[in-house]
Amino acid sequence: MKKSLKRLLIDSATKYLYIALYEDLECLGKYYQSGNNDHSTKLMVEIERIFKLNNMKIADLDEIIIGIGPGSYTGLRIGVVVAKMFGWNNDITVKTISSLAMIASSYSGEELIVSEIDARRGNSFIGVFKNKGKGLFLAEEELLTNLEDYTNSLENPYKIVSNGEPNLERILNSNLLTEVKDIHSLNPNYLRITEAERNLK
Amino acid sequence: MIVLSVESSCDETSVSIVRDGKEVLSNIVLSQIDIHKAYGGVVPEIASREHIKGITMVFEEALKEANIDKTNIDLVAVTNGPGLIGSLLVGVNAAKAFAFSNDIEIIGVHHIAGHIYANQITAELEFPLICLVVSGGHTELILMKEHYDFQKLGETMDDAVGEAYDKVARTVGLGYPGGPIVDKLAQKGKPSYKMPNISLGNNYNFSFSGIKSHVINLVHNTKQRNEELVIEDLCASFQETVSEVLVTKSLKAIKEYNAKMFIIAGGVAANKGLRKKINKRITMVKVVVPEFRYCTDNAAMIGIAGYYQYLRNSSTDDMSLNGLSRMKMK
Ligand SMILES: [Zn+2]
Repeated sequence: MKKSLKRLLIDSATKYLYIALYEDLECLGKYYQSGNNDHSTKLMVEIERIFKLNNMKIADLDEIIIGIGPGSYTGLRIGVVVAKMFGWNNDITVKTISSLAMIASSYSGEELIVSEIDARRGNSFIGVFKNKGKGLFLAEEELLTNLEDYTNSLENPYKIVSNGEPNLERILNSNLLTEVKDIHSLNPNYLRITEAERNLK
Repeated sequence: MIVLSVESSCDETSVSIVRDGKEVLSNIVLSQIDIHKAYGGVVPEIASREHIKGITMVFEEALKEANIDKTNIDLVAVTNGPGLIGSLLVGVNAAKAFAFSNDIEIIGVHHIAGHIYANQITAELEFPLICLVVSGGHTELILMKEHYDFQKLGETMDDAVGEAYDKVARTVGLGYPGGPIVDKLAQKGKPSYKMPNISLGNNYNFSFSGIKSHVINLVHNTKQRNEELVIEDLCASFQETVSEVLVTKSLKAIKEYNAKMFIIAGGVAANKGLRKKINKRITMVKVVVPEFRYCTDNAAMIGIAGYYQYLRNSSTDDMSLNGLSRMKMK
């Protein structure tokens, strides 16, 4: 009999905090809610609740899937540091995925999926995806630009998706997961350098 | 009791393992100082990014150097404020995830309590004691009647003393961090420049913005008149006035509260001019200064403070523990 795979999914790159514990494709517990700058108080509380509910420990996990941004939201680092610590402490495989892909996976339509995370000052982090069969594929490299300008340039029908609960099956059937080889090197994908660094140049 | 502690409130990522609030088994400090030098000060967003980069590596080294197994750790202590919020959140969440993974209790520790308890490595604290807290973010006089009991007698009304040092250094063009450079130059100079009176009357409060502005104006005017500025003398004058007010108010508190011990805490505790003056003037009580390596931010001091906090309150925090940029000492 094939052993089942226990996975923890986390994405904290936007104001929505997403946590889900899966055994293969069965969801054992989850949390998906819009927060108010409180990912730091919610994330570990909800992880504790979900694991206790299932009488599980972090050490029981086979894999962690972590959304690594892009983003400028302060909550982004909270999810990544927790995944990094679990992965290092328990020697668990950690796979990273773009948070834009996580968001895009919530949508099942045929159109181009313009996944968007607010980057402030009129800009957005944008990733364009497409559903194909059971999976999700990246159609355009992720970038930082004005959402309206960008969508005006699109010729094919599209759907803007700014939030939505990730779909594990679609994520697993994508080629968007990257396994972290050295856990110490796991970092968020900021997609842009800090303002201080830009000003220094 | 073995405590693993985490400190990330500003620009040092640090993890330490301390036995019984005294014996430092390891104290790994990953400093970002060279990174922030280019900006003339700590850039919060860069600091947060560096913390997450280094955090698990620092954990790993701390455990390796202490040569203990995770199962032997009895408590996790983490700085949860005050400090830069983005920096604090990395340490707090790393500590919570570590505590949860290994089924260990966790407590949040006040950063200044940590600085105060850095002295416990040097000598056993004796009460009542007066503590002078001097750092880039704090200037306070604290009365402790017993372990983990802090009564604030006074504090700065404006700039922290370390902040004033950095500003003076920047004005004279000495680079960052300015405190140690001003201290060094002051040793070579004479306090010949006239400085304003910053005693603020007969209380325990401080003010350093006046002397800071005075130095800025002095430098500006001297340049405009094309006169030579003797930087060493300027540093000596500034340092003399600042350390004088710190020591005078400390002495007043020692007498008023019949203290048995006087201790200093915080980054400016490493200031040689201040240490010299303390040793010369405060002779009626036992004086303890932290070792130089425990003056700046480090996790060992948080582990020791955490140990005494736990002994006193015997309560711990839960997974909702949060980082706070401002936080009262309790
Ligand atoms: Zn400090």
